[in-house]
Amino acid sequence: MAINREPQVFLFLSKILGRSIIGATGETLGRVYDLTAEFVEPYPIVTGIILRPTQKNNPVVLPWKDVVDMDQTISVSVSSIKDLSVLHLRQGEVLLKDALLDKQVVDTDGAKIRRVNDLHFLKTRYYLYLVHVDVGFRGLIRRAGLIRVFDAIFKALFDYKLPDHLIQWKFTQPLSSPDLLQLNIAQSRLSQIHPADLADILEELDIKQRAAVFQALDVETAAETLEETDPKIQVSLINDLNSEKASDIIEEMSLSEAADLIGDLPKAKAEGILNEMEKDIADDVKELMTHPELEAGGMMTTSYLSFSPTTTAREALDKFRREAADVDLVYYIYVTDEEEHLLGVISLRDLILADADQKLADIMDDRVVSVKLDDKHDTIAEQFAKYAVTAIPVVDENEKMHGTIIFKNLLEIVAPELGK
Amino acid sequence: MEKIKIFWKKILQTGLWKLGLFFALIGPGIITSNVDNDAGGITTYSLAGAHYGLSLIWILIPVTAALIIIQEMCARMGVVSGKGLSDLIRERFGAKITFYLMIILLLANLGNTLCEFAGIAASMEIFGVSKYISVPAGAFFVWWLVVKGNYKSVEKVFLVACVFYLSYILSGFLVHPDWQAISKAAITPTLNFDVGLLTMAVGIIGTTIAPWMQFYLQSSIVDKGLKAENYKYSRMDVIFGSITVNVVAFFIIMLCAVTLFQNGLKIETAKDAALALAPLAGSYASLLFAFGLLNASLFAASILPLSTAYTICEAFGWESSLNSKFTEAPQFYGLYSLMIFLGAGVILLPNVPLISIMFYSQVINGILLPFVLIFMLLLINDKRVMGDYINGKLMNVVSWTTVIILIGLSGAMVVSSFF
Repeated sequence: MAINREPQVFLFLSKILGRSIIGATGETLGRVYDLTAEFVEPYPIVTGIILRPTQKNNPVVLPWKDVVDMDQTISVSVSSIKDLSVLHLRQGEVLLKDALLDKQVVDTDGAKIRRVNDLHFLKTRYYLYLVHVDVGFRGLIRRAGLIRVFDAIFKALFDYKLPDHLIQWKFTQPLSSPDLLQLNIAQSRLSQIHPADLADILEELDIKQRAAVFQALDVETAAETLEETDPKIQVSLINDLNSEKASDIIEEMSLSEAADLIGDLPKAKAEGILNEMEKDIADDVKELMTHPELEAGGMMTTSYLSFSPTTTAREALDKFRREAADVDLVYYIYVTDEEEHLLGVISLRDLILADADQKLADIMDDRVVSVKLDDKHDTIAEQFAKYAVTAIPVVDENEKMHGTIIFKNLLEIVAPELGK
Repeated sequence: MEKIKIFWKKILQTGLWKLGLFFALIGPGIITSNVDNDAGGITTYSLAGAHYGLSLIWILIPVTAALIIIQEMCARMGVVSGKGLSDLIRERFGAKITFYLMIILLLANLGNTLCEFAGIAASMEIFGVSKYISVPAGAFFVWWLVVKGNYKSVEKVFLVACVFYLSYILSGFLVHPDWQAISKAAITPTLNFDVGLLTMAVGIIGTTIAPWMQFYLQSSIVDKGLKAENYKYSRMDVIFGSITVNVVAFFIIMLCAVTLFQNGLKIETAKDAALALAPLAGSYASLLFAFGLLNASLFAASILPLSTAYTICEAFGWESSLNSKFTEAPQFYGLYSLMIFLGAGVILLPNVPLISIMFYSQVINGILLPFVLIFMLLLINDKRVMGDYINGKLMNVVSWTTVIILIGLSGAMVVSSFF
């Protein structure tokens, strides 16, 4: 059974750059300076060779289809440089060496920023595909021209060959220009990374790349990532956006995070954003901003569900199903009277397990642990530790409920002090 | 009443507010410049003063100008590109050049770190502490400061350390020098073709404009996250720093000139200088001098290993953050530890040829400097990196001239070291 298999060879970019290009007449036309590739899925396809001619100075493009053979030299079907045109990149086409080699990329699988030491191609009979980027030490040594010495030493000393560290192209997000971030946006590789990891990556990037990456994220990912980012960086990222885009992102954040962020912004910017936001969210945020950050009022969120004591478990669950998607705290529901005095609390488990017709007043636990609006973070931490709850409601001196503190939000305040 | 309020508001809006912003944004320039007056620097200045009196003091004025020109470019690159110098060199000049450059930088900085620990040992010996106690303690302090502290607190410690350089200025006043003669010497360039004198002149320039500084300055400016609009504050920071560093150098040379030189005392090291000062200028001047040396050495010993590790990791794309664990950033912590371990360890070996180690580390610095400066000039004129902030015509003439002179001098030093 004859299988018509294409010959397949792997090649490194560093081995292709600088190779001589031999024309149809056997004359050397020039050397490889760069490659152009079209960014298509699953692998970018090389579309042409940028060639630095032996005599003329201006680089010209040699279309990939004219390449006949690739060995120690590259044979092409063109006989003269005059037949070639100067570089003009089409939409979606990228200069590989220029955009990727020695530049930073995000490894979306390992959630790390890496520097590209080399590019790894798969050569089939007609095409050259970019399949991996090399980010390993071996690639660096190869670029430095020391790979033989290095291998010999490692072989002699440890009987070990350092492997290549290659990342698959599909887990690579180039960063070197905003255009490249836009190119990949359809695949949204960055949004595959957990927002907390993405926040770490943002913090490591330089100020320009940071802004470019952040602006390439979709609103939801941007909001989640922003929540995990250092407050100073949050401010600089939001400052770079116009009020409209900024308000879209901030609306997606949890209320307490949003209030903290807006509170840190310059006054004019903060007002601009609040004006752009939906009115009810903006009002809640303004309410939260009146409290100092380290007090209960500053840590709480006003996005929770509360019911009157006469509501039945079924009605409560129906409302829960309709609204919980946009609510910050879902593990408890609170029972309050008409004046919003806190009467009791019901955990989500108790609500689900309750008989559908039972009134909330009968299910609720009225021994509610609560904190006052101006309680400090250490007092609140003690309450969390003592009662082992995941959220504590915040009331004023008249027991009127104002919000609730989610454990995570307390942790963000307290965490920097831990381990010191 | 109302008027006063408005008046205050105006002041706050214009002058004071800007002053406040200046203080919020300064740091990198002043710190870098002061680290520059490290153990090696202080030794060179003391020797220059003790051996040649006031005749070399004028050189500090052109050195200040050159320092400002070079560091201004670094600061500008940092602010505009948002990237460190090794990052830019890697992206522009490729892996091969960067690889070898980083190896030389590692060697040069290792030599410098060694000098700092030697400085710690020497200054503590003046206070009667054996080097077998002071050097390990110093190494531990450096380690602890950086690994346990965060950058903000470390920067504050460093800024405070800068204040201690005043001790040299204080001891300068303690000897009641003849100011008229000094100011005359400062503005009269004298240079004769005495090999020793020329070597000393090159030494002063080499110790003031060192390769590692450019990397350190640029990355600390990047760390500050300044935007191009606020660049002018960075420039002030750099200029202010460059001037202070040379004022301190001025006082050291002057102090040694009016005491040691006038009494014909020959010295070999900064420690000799401090000891020799006691009978001539009083024990306060001597102790202040020793304390200044200790501060300078500790200060530079904390910064050099860290700066080297950052620079190299940045160039090669290795994780480099004090916030990561050892297993997450092994290269970073490895390099950092290696620098401290070797720097402090070699000093503790018996019979180390310290003088020749210091000499060769100067030679390596001299080899490295031309490359770094040329790369800097190519980068700062690259529109793709700098956009509208590339050098102007005049600035290019000035900076190329400065760089060519510097290259000539460090080339001469390297060549002469082989004969």
